[in-house]
Amino acid sequence: MANFPPSDGSIKPREPADDDSRPTAGVEQSDLELVKRAQRGERGAFDLLVLRYQHKVVKLVARLLRDPTEAEDVAQEAFVKAYRALGSFRGDSAFYTWLYRIAVNTARNSIASRQRRPLDYEADLSESEQTAVESRMRHTDTPEANVLSEEIRSTVNRAVEDLPEDLRTAIILREVEGLSYEEIAAAMDCPVGTVRSRIFRAREAIDRNLKPLLD
Amino acid sequence: MTDQIREQVSALLDGELSRDEIGLLVRRMERDPELRRSFGSYSLIGETLRAPGGLTARPSFAARVSAAIDGPESGRVPDVPAAARSPAFWRRPAFATAIAAGVAVAGFLLVQPSTTTSPTSLVARPALVYRAAASPTPAQSQRLAGYLVAHSQFSSPMGRRSVWSGLLAADPSLQRVAYEIQDAP
Repeated sequence: MANFPPSDGSIKPREPADDDSRPTAGVEQSDLELVKRAQRGERGAFDLLVLRYQHKVVKLVARLLRDPTEAEDVAQEAFVKAYRALGSFRGDSAFYTWLYRIAVNTARNSIASRQRRPLDYEADLSESEQTAVESRMRHTDTPEANVLSEEIRSTVNRAVEDLPEDLRTAIILREVEGLSYEEIAAAMDCPVGTVRSRIFRAREAIDRNLKPLLD
Repeated sequence: MTDQIREQVSALLDGELSRDEIGLLVRRMERDPELRRSFGSYSLIGETLRAPGGLTARPSFAARVSAAIDGPESGRVPDVPAAARSPAFWRRPAFATAIAAGVAVAGFLLVQPSTTTSPTSLVARPALVYRAAASPTPAQSQRLAGYLVAHSQFSSPMGRRSVWSGLLAADPSLQRVAYEIQDAP
């Protein structure tokens, strides 16, 4: 395998493509294309944006709330808000940056409303007891969610370890290093089409292991 | 489902498809839940490799979001500029039908009796047509206005305006009704 990244700076990011027949320049352009389609009423395009960013947003919201039991509800609210406000998205920033702001604001609103919300057990507990209960609630992850996340992590890692070297290198360069197909092709000294195929086959192999957990 | 299509799904996730390919694939994925599942799974794999640990969305999460958007409270289309929506709107069957029907009625009511028409052909026409063309009675105007009000629910302001403009040229008495309808949301 070639050394990566090359020290001579020979790999240059591609310029954005205006020609419809050329690949979009990365995930941001691909997102923008999906947003445009969603703005024209293609719900399927927005569904794909949800599928792409659901884990990131849930993870972000869970960290902000420090309460995983509410994370999915708040993340869902953030996606619904994003859908409703899609018309105001002009593409000045990346779609995820825009979605990230919505998720952060939604989480902050949720925290504020939780602080205003009277607790049912307020009358029965002293102030120190209340604080202890709330603290415990915030810091206790749901066992079910934790077990699933841990199983997913170990399954993915094991599946990656089992991949043939060319597939493993391609998927790591793509997912961990964030390189484009062109950059990976240069690093691995193979055609872009081969990179695309290797990444796909790596994902398929990992997915076969993951599927029983997610069904 | 062929590997070729799934490979496209993988490339879509990486932003490595052309706009044309994205368009075709999005439509295909709308119909194919297995392709959507693959897309979600590929996304989860990447997220797990990049940031192991922490909570991930449950498999049903995306479906829950979709249902929330479609729900009675949230079931609104994105608030997008009218210009962005208009192409799809023009293709709506209800819109096309309403315009076609409106134009047909306008033509029907505005037809002028030809001076060369034979007496027998005049007899064959409905009497209403002849009278409406010559001078619409208040009852006819009201009936026509009622028809257009009904159609205004299914057509765009532009469509209503085009029908009205044709009618107003022939019957100024309809102007007040026309303005009321055109100003409606």
